[in-house]
Amino acid sequence: MEKTKLSIISQIKNHFNDAREKNYPYNRVDFSVRKEIVPQVLLYLKDVMGFKHLSHISCVDWLEDNEFELVFIVWSPADKIKVFVHTRLDREHPVMDNLDMIWRHAHTYEREMREMFGIQFTGLDAPEEFLLEDWQGPPPMRRDFDTETYAAETYWERPGREDAQDVRETIEKRTGEVLPDFAKNYKR
Amino acid sequence: MINDKNSQKIVDIIRNYARKHSLWILAYGTGCGAIEIPPTMTSRYDAERLGVRGAATPRQADVLLITGYLTTKTLKRVIRVYEQMQDPKYVIGFGSCTINGGMYWDSYNTIKALDRYLPVDVYINGCMPRPESVLAGFAKLQELIQAGKADGAKKYKENLEWYRENQKKVIPTWRMPEYNW
Repeated sequence: MEKTKLSIISQIKNHFNDAREKNYPYNRVDFSVRKEIVPQVLLYLKDVMGFKHLSHISCVDWLEDNEFELVFIVWSPADKIKVFVHTRLDREHPVMDNLDMIWRHAHTYEREMREMFGIQFTGLDAPEEFLLEDWQGPPPMRRDFDTETYAAETYWERPGREDAQDVRETIEKRTGEVLPDFAKNYKR
Repeated sequence: MINDKNSQKIVDIIRNYARKHSLWILAYGTGCGAIEIPPTMTSRYDAERLGVRGAATPRQADVLLITGYLTTKTLKRVIRVYEQMQDPKYVIGFGSCTINGGMYWDSYNTIKALDRYLPVDVYINGCMPRPESVLAGFAKLQELIQAGKADGAKKYKENLEWYRENQKKVIPTWRMPEYNW
């Protein structure tokens, strides 16, 4: 399998010069590419190298870098290897190419990401909302969306939960465990 | 004779007795609590000995079980289902999510108190309530029905404006039929 993985890496690097690779143990290979060549990379993987199945498209919000990261996971049934294709989008104007002509089920993932992260897919033909009906706030999966404040403003809360304790603080007090600094930035 | 107070009382007792022994619940599961319904209905706990059984459509059902968290999207459907049900009708709030939000207390998309949007007759506490507590809830509902106190539907009719106001607060684009009883 290691041999197949290395040949996949060299083949991709030959075709797409600026692709950066990372070879993970077991059956996983990662590539980072520019967003403009993502459709070409995926089509090449699908049509030439036998990665027929799109397992997942996920989105990561890198708030600190002011970027979104899209991850396309494709699977080769013959080689039993999965390839992750990473790409970064500008967070202010996240625009990506529509890919549902390559795999039809990419349509669903794209609609979900459009709602949850506000990423626009050019040419995505889906006028209706997917999960959030009547949603009027900002995209809720973005990290700068304050869920707690939004819920407190929108939904009436029954009194009686005021004495609820902060989980991290309580653990710190009870066990004397020292929390790392980054964990103190997040409540609960 | 019909208007006689005592005979009305007797009629009420008989009517309530009949009603409490045929609680047909609508087969409509919201959230994760619906998974507790099959063990309640099947042979181990056998809810049918209390007269509790499933009904296929809202118009045949007496009890609406709200089994767990309600997203605003589901709330729309639940309101429509509740308004299609015919009298007598009762609502059971099932699990802590319907009481105070439960573990979804800070979710952007779920309501936190069911009785702001629909009249609830009985709440069953727990996350999730076991079949024993579900049966206890049904027994409590039967008690209330026999005493004539399970009047959620009446409350809904009388305070419809208040309920509508709350419902429209979380459902901004109201594209539902207005029922007038």
